[in-house]
Amino acid sequence: MLARVSQITATLLLAGVLAAPALAKDKLVINSYGGAYEQIHRKLVIEPFMKQYDVDVQVITAYSADALAQLRAQKASPQFDVIHFSGGQEIVAARDGLISPIKASELSNAKDLYPFAVEGLSRGEGPVHAVAAIGLLYNKDKAPKKPALWADLWDPAYKDHVVLTDLSNSYGLLGFLMLNKVKGGDIKNPEPGFTAVKALLDSAVVVSTSPELQQNFAQNDAWVAPYAQDYAYTLRKAGLPIEFVQGQEGTPGVYLTANLVANRPNQDLAKKFIDFSLSPAVQAGWANELRYSPTNKAAKLDDALAKEVIYGEQAVAGLMRFDPVEVDAARASLVERWKKLIAR
Amino acid sequence: MMRDRLEDFALASPGLLLIGLGFLFPIAEMVRLSVVGPDGGFTTLHYTRFLTDAYYLGIVWRTVYLSLLITAICAAVGFPLAYVMARVSPRLRLWLVVLIILPLMTSVVVRTFGWMVLLGRGGLVPSTLWKLGFVGRNFSMMQTEAAIVIGMVQVLLPFTTLSILGVVMKIDRRLEEAARTMGASFMGTLRTVVLPLAMPGILAGSLLAFTLSVSSFVTPSLLGGVRLPVVAASIYDAATKTLEWNFAAAQSVILLVGVLLVLTPYIKLSGRRNG
Repeated sequence: MLARVSQITATLLLAGVLAAPALAKDKLVINSYGGAYEQIHRKLVIEPFMKQYDVDVQVITAYSADALAQLRAQKASPQFDVIHFSGGQEIVAARDGLISPIKASELSNAKDLYPFAVEGLSRGEGPVHAVAAIGLLYNKDKAPKKPALWADLWDPAYKDHVVLTDLSNSYGLLGFLMLNKVKGGDIKNPEPGFTAVKALLDSAVVVSTSPELQQNFAQNDAWVAPYAQDYAYTLRKAGLPIEFVQGQEGTPGVYLTANLVANRPNQDLAKKFIDFSLSPAVQAGWANELRYSPTNKAAKLDDALAKEVIYGEQAVAGLMRFDPVEVDAARASLVERWKKLIAR
Repeated sequence: MMRDRLEDFALASPGLLLIGLGFLFPIAEMVRLSVVGPDGGFTTLHYTRFLTDAYYLGIVWRTVYLSLLITAICAAVGFPLAYVMARVSPRLRLWLVVLIILPLMTSVVVRTFGWMVLLGRGGLVPSTLWKLGFVGRNFSMMQTEAAIVIGMVQVLLPFTTLSILGVVMKIDRRLEEAARTMGASFMGTLRTVVLPLAMPGILAGSLLAFTLSVSSFVTPSLLGGVRLPVVAASIYDAATKTLEWNFAAAQSVILLVGVLLVLTPYIKLSGRRNG
């Protein structure tokens, strides 16, 4: 009996060994963020890449913080080839040696990227492949005028119609840091921001999730809210007359990066994948599908679309980034301070 | 005799195993987490942080008084309802029970969304109040404690009513008839005969309503919003938003102990009533 089992096993093994070379395609393992994002990710990047290079790409759904945790746990034998981050985790990953540096010369698209998108390469981080810009969402039918500045949130014209987002939401956190900056503070000194928000609280609604924001625009007569550009598009698709404005003082953003995982055998192919994510066509696709702003100058958008993302040298010049490491370190204390401020 | 015990134990073991794995083990883990400090050693830091901060004590106070209010309203509405249900024809009672249970068939989230539409700016309730001239045009009941109470009462009323119904059904009708013959009015009968006899049901129902509402999360967060935090929402924030698991665990232990403290006198009280 035993002999028979081992015989069968041996046959199977042999078959496996013989069959393997014929079946094996090169394979990459990457992460994506799930939901609508992942669907578009597959459609724009993953599937065309698989076709073009005749390889397999396995997608594991993991948000940035989770992806970083997995990468850390797998340090001895990493399981991902390309890892995407949206919360600045690449800075920590590069510092801890979890991702490999990429040279600009290894990416055919690097020459067309805006400087901010390749700036991290020198620190061992991956390039930025898309940006979700934070600015002011306003109701163009109801708001008495179009806001231009972040400081316009305090304009009496919008009184009773401002919506703020809770700091436990990352868009809310970035929006708050911007308000704080406008009022003269910085991450280490959030008091000016908190004082200024306190003045708004009596006449503003505070929400904690995107759907709540939508509900406030749809039902509660909201006119202005600091939030992300891609969500303005979601609201427009839901039939709401919402436009996005870049506050003149600056446009903070969520920077989406694609990073090369260290100690993986297939880094050349992984670099091709990252390069593919940076191509003008893919980036135009992201802008078209979800209104994420391209980081590649060569991405061609038609005029209507170009107005709905951060596009062109002038608009891009307004982009700014709060140091993700500092933001992360301050997050818990900012959130607690905020909760105490808004609690009735 | 021994054999009986063994059989009893065998019968109870799946349940006991489930309680052990699904309740005792997680609770033990939570208690352990709540006293682990940033360096991995023992600490009471998370407890002192919660118990010495006026903000967190304010959250506890809001949770407790809202729950008491919700429980009181559920009992006050549930008792007459249960009494009427117990006294109508069986056919009508069946329909009333179905009517009461029907909302339980829909998810709490869906029912709460319904309230969001009704209570929001321009919704049925505020616009009716506006037309009657009580409030301004852009009045909204969303993100108020009143909204939390209304939403929670709707969610918990079936639990209270059904537990009172069970007890009221068992009250001998002849006792009421006797009271009436002796000259008691209808309200007097209710007060002196039915109410005392229904007390175990009212206590059990209120207990259920109180414990459920103290630990409820979805309805208060959706109707009250972030500016009216309750303990459960605070735990959720610490666990999922700021990733302070130890602090979240400490808050959970405090909530659990609080509920147990309320439970003990209640159980004693209802135990005496039943005995």
